[in-house]
Parts: sequence; C-alpha cells; structure tokens
Amino acid sequence: MSPTLRALCVIGSAVTFWLIIRRVKKASVRIDDCIFWIVFSFTLLVIAIFPDIPAFLARLFGFIATSNFVFLVVITMLLMREFTNTLKISKLNSRLDELIEEQALQAKENEQDEH
Amino acid sequence: MRILAIIPAYNEQDCLEQTIRSLESMCPSIDYLIVNDGSTDDTKQICERNHFSHVNLPVNSGLSVGFQTGMKYADRHGYDAAVQFDADGQHLPEYIIPMGNALEEQQADIVIASRTLAGEAPAGARGAGSKIISALIRLTSGVRLTDPTSGMRMYSRRMIGEFAKGYDLTPEPDTVALLARKGCKVIEVPARMQERQGGESYFDFTHVIAYMSRVCFSILLFQWFR
Repeated sequence: MSPTLRALCVIGSAVTFWLIIRRVKKASVRIDDCIFWIVFSFTLLVIAIFPDIPAFLARLFGFIATSNFVFLVVITMLLMREFTNTLKISKLNSRLDELIEEQALQAKENEQDEH
Repeated sequence: MRILAIIPAYNEQDCLEQTIRSLESMCPSIDYLIVNDGSTDDTKQICERNHFSHVNLPVNSGLSVGFQTGMKYADRHGYDAAVQFDADGQHLPEYIIPMGNALEEQQADIVIASRTLAGEAPAGARGAGSKIISALIRLTSGVRLTDPTSGMRMYSRRMIGEFAKGYDLTPEPDTVALLARKGCKVIEVPARMQERQGGESYFDFTHVIAYMSRVCFSILLFQWFR
C-alpha cells in the first residue's frame, strides 16, 4: 500500500466520521442508521494505520496488489449497503401506501358516520 | 349481483362530472367510488359539490395505490364484482352490465373489455406495445388476450380479496398474466372505447418506458418467483 493511499484512507475515514457526527448533532439521522458509517470509517482507519492487515489478507486471497484488495473491500461494503437500502426503501414505500389507503378509507367512514 | 366501479382520478376536473353523469344514467344499479389521487385541481371540489361517492388520498400515490384503495373498499362492503373504470371518459358504461353477465355466466375471475374484439385494435406505438405484451402473456401463461392493455377490467369477488390483501398487485397486464398462470380464468368481451374527453394522461414518455419495462420484466422474469 502506497503512503498516498494510506493518507487518502485516513482522510476518507475522518471526513466520513465528521459528516455523520455532524448529522447526529443536527438530529437529522437516527443512531441505528449511523452504525454502518461508523464501522466504515473505522475500517478505513484500521487499513491506513495497520497496512500489514490488508497486505496479509491480500496475499492470502492471491491479490497482486494490496490496493486492489482494499478497493474490493470498500466496493463490497458499499454494495451491501446499497442492497439493504433498496429493501428498506421498498418496505417503507409499501407501508406508506398502506397508510395512505387506510387513511383515505377511514376518512370516508368517519364522514358517513357523521351524516 | 352488486358491482362497484372503481374510478381512479388524478386531476380530472375537465371530464369527471360528465363521466359520472353518464355512468349514473346508464347504470343506475351500479355503485361507484371515485378515488381522488391527491389531485391538485378541482377534482375534490367537484366530488364534494355533486355529492359523488369518493375517497381522497392524502398525497398523490399513483394508479396502483388508488386502485387498491378501491378494492379494499369493495372488499369491506361485500361487493360481488369490481370494475376498473377511467375517469376521463374513455370507457363506456354500457359495457359494465355485459361484463358482469359474462363474469357470472362463465364463472370467470377477470373480464377484460377488448377493443380488438370490437374491431378497434389500438394503432401505432400503443398497438405495438400491446402486441408485445399479448405475445409475452401467451408465451408464459398460455392465455390468449387480444387487448391486454385495456384499462377496463372487471374482477370477481375472489379477485377483490386478492387485490385488497395482496402485495404489489398493480392493475396492469403483468398482474393479469400472473393471476392467469396461477389458475384464474381470464376472458374478454368486445367493447368500444372513446378518446379521452379531457385532462392529461398518466402516460408521458418516461411513464411509457417505465410501464413497458415493468410489465415485460414482470411477465418474463418476476412472475415465476411470486
């Protein structure tokens, strides 16, 4: 791992951490939803401080360069996150539709009761 | 036989009143429910002023949600059949009773009003889309439909329950294909339709692309896992 990549990992980690903590302060993200970003930020930091860990794993899995392994780890983490987000949004949409339908029907029932 | 006409309406102030008047005079025995899908025009005021039977969705949610709201209403009020009916005057009320008769006589689950059987096949890009969907449905479920994109469909008591409680059942051809493959009986009756009498269609270019890709993927791929 080049010193540049290590420096970029530290910067990436710090920026991620700062962005998410700022959102927590502003009360615009729930703690449950931050966990991933804190883990992500921490992972980048560990990779930057202890490059021997990714280097060891890269050799173990037969990567030519450690940096390739680091990129793969980051991409995989983000893709997994994207997948769970899709599921979550889909679920939220269904719940929202359900609420809209119930609210509309309920309003009609109430109106009929009044008459 | 108690039939409910479900009329989703999104910004239909120009033609809603006329549509409901002709429905009331042609089919006095049929109940209807307008589902005002968060319209920003005077649709809601027109319903209230004329005392039309209607529900208001609090926000614009799309045709599927509007239709499912109608199906839930039909389910909870014990209707024997429900028909999807356009607010824009495209669908003619005189075909509702014949559709109900066909549903009852042939013990069908879904009755589609087919323009093609009445000798009025949709032309141009619409016709091409319709032919592709027909072919896909025939390929995957073996059912021959001449007008799968017709928006005027009647559903039996059993289907009302399915739609009211189902997950992600759109009032579109892919759902018809899915239900047909699951053993529901789908038939068609000939029916003429009119040009829309006013207002704007849900269907602009991006919606057409979204519609076609959803329907095609759904029929070809997703229905096998549902």
